[in-house]
Amino acid sequence: MIDPTQAGLRESATFDRATIASIQRAAETGVYDIRGWGAKRAVPHFDDLLLLGASMSRYPLEGYRERCDTDVVLGDRHASNPLHLDIPITIAGMSFGALSAQAKEALGRGATEVGTSTTTGDGGMTPEERGQSKNLVYQYLPSRYGMNPDDLRSADAIEIVLGQGAKPGGGGMLLGQKISDRVAGMRTLPAGIDQRSACRHPDWTGPDDLTIKILELREITDWQKPIYVKVGATRTYYDVKLAVAAGADVVVVDGMQGGTAATQEVFIEHVGIPTLAAIPQAVQALAELGLHRKVQLIVSGGIRTGADVAKAMALGADAVAIGTAALIALGDNHPRYADEYAKIGSAPGFYDDYQDGRDPAGITTQDPDLAKRLDPVEGGRRVANYLRVLTLEAQTLARACGKAHLRNLEPEDLVALTIEAAAMARVPLAGTSWIPGQNF
Amino acid sequence: MCGIVGLHLKNPALQPELGRLLVPMIEAMTSRGPDSAGLALYDDEGMHVVKDVGLPRDICAAHGIASRSGYQAVGHTRMATESAITPEHAHPFTPVPDLALVHNGSFSNHASVRRNLAFDGITCTTDNDSEVAARFIGREIAGGADLEDAMRMVLKEFDGFFTLLVTTATQFAVLRDSFACKPAVIAETADYVAMASEYHALAELPGIADARIVEPEPERVYAWSR
Ligand SMILES: Cc1cc2nc3c(=O)[nH]c(=O)nc-3n(C[C@H](O)[C@H](O)[C@H](O)COP(=O)(O)O)c2cc1C
Repeated sequence: MIDPTQAGLRESATFDRATIASIQRAAETGVYDIRGWGAKRAVPHFDDLLLLGASMSRYPLEGYRERCDTDVVLGDRHASNPLHLDIPITIAGMSFGALSAQAKEALGRGATEVGTSTTTGDGGMTPEERGQSKNLVYQYLPSRYGMNPDDLRSADAIEIVLGQGAKPGGGGMLLGQKISDRVAGMRTLPAGIDQRSACRHPDWTGPDDLTIKILELREITDWQKPIYVKVGATRTYYDVKLAVAAGADVVVVDGMQGGTAATQEVFIEHVGIPTLAAIPQAVQALAELGLHRKVQLIVSGGIRTGADVAKAMALGADAVAIGTAALIALGDNHPRYADEYAKIGSAPGFYDDYQDGRDPAGITTQDPDLAKRLDPVEGGRRVANYLRVLTLEAQTLARACGKAHLRNLEPEDLVALTIEAAAMARVPLAGTSWIPGQNF
Repeated sequence: MCGIVGLHLKNPALQPELGRLLVPMIEAMTSRGPDSAGLALYDDEGMHVVKDVGLPRDICAAHGIASRSGYQAVGHTRMATESAITPEHAHPFTPVPDLALVHNGSFSNHASVRRNLAFDGITCTTDNDSEVAARFIGREIAGGADLEDAMRMVLKEFDGFFTLLVTTATQFAVLRDSFACKPAVIAETADYVAMASEYHALAELPGIADARIVEPEPERVYAWSR
């Protein structure tokens, strides 16, 4: 085979190799592509923002001596038992079914070790994750798979899921190869058959009905548990206002880069707005209600580093949630599985077939042999390490900006590298006082 | 960045001397704040505020400060950091009747506090970070808080570096942040309480050799009432 670039051949920007492959695949199979991971296209993101460290007009804090606190209280608007977390980085909801029981347990162990929360997902709560998670958020999803009032009461908070950033307006999917007897049993569905979960809650639509649903959940849990509402980022300003009007204690906003276990590729790449664009909308909504930092905002979708955490908080988030990055910390896409990725047509750094259950790292699978590869104790240690690094990195940046608490980062600490990011994040282009779209 | 001074007279016999004692104090702080200066003086008629651009010596002379009497005063010399040099940007900030605030340092989250105040209908007229603290304390006091409690609320709400001196018609209070990097010294005798960013501002005061001198501890409100 010749080397196309050496031979002077020109690749099309419009019809690049991935596009050509997807057309060929569609033509051969007649079915659309379903995959995991999140949006892979480049969108304006936290990398397009920079922090203004202190120098003369402001004073930085000393890294090893002066405190920079990281704790956060979630859900104290109406709940008598809000969550007190040591760090503002939580583990996002990922279902048992999408993930192995070992992976769920490992996430719980890691989160608990550093004093943060983890979240169930579609398909219910496993005893492993309840047992290993000090703070466990219980997702209440349209499918109601695995939903039962006992688990609801044993949770530390409830998250009503309206949508996910990867697929706002779409429901869940779990393909037959991952529906083991245990997964099927928890969902009261037949094993081995593709399952789609609803895109809408069965018993309510819209904020007026949600108000009643939230009251119902509060009654079942004796007004103790914080109630979160999770939305995929689209019309975020309105959605956040309505979530608050319906009575949410915490709003979770998941940007379009947010991960998924199984969604149509066309959905992942073409629906929703970037995390960067969603945060200012959410903060504006909360601020207009006088509830910014009173109803807490959790942001997810593409959080990878402590810089992302610091920048999300500077834009006004109270906490962040991570999905994909936590899976990578567990061993997802690790080069040690290169040969096995090759056998299933993928490679480390590219693997996104969370839907098909053959994950060599044993994370997104229900195959008992593959799942055994992940030791929940070792996995928990890796997740805890990673969360510690995120926290230390965020503290490093906050101290440089003179903050004794992460939550005191503010939009005025940020500038943007591109006009797009400046417009979306509503911070000035670096070196100017220009925020596109403002002061006109 | 700035120099602050304050004098709270306990002995009424010193009241005619207030201005004469204060002028050397504020002049001693010239090098810390050559851009602008300001004073608030309290006498039986109320609080009188003078602030302008320029050197403290010229401002004091122009307003005849040395001959003023009264029971309490604060003064400030400013080296501007992130906001303009105008009389309005000079300290003290006096957002509600009888309240004066002078600040040395730099708040690191004032934009957020400013937004919260604006939501409550309290707008700042300058982009100076110290005004935000003054308006915050003003709101707490207008809501019924006592000055000491209002100052403790500052510790909860504000991040960054600060030494604050805040006065009302009856109280004189000093507070430093948890890092206590911005300098402060308090001298107390039977006749007065005096505060300054640096000791040499106090050196001319009568009886200073026998005064009780303290460097205020971090996060502790020091307050005196009349
Ligand atoms: C494997 C996997 C499974 C997921 N399952 C759920 C789920 O059951 N319910 C849900 O609300 N979100 C689910 N999500 C989305 C996450 O909760 C979260 O919104 C997203 O992963 C955040 O973006 P990030 O992956 O870029 O960190 C899942 C994500 C992944 C990667």
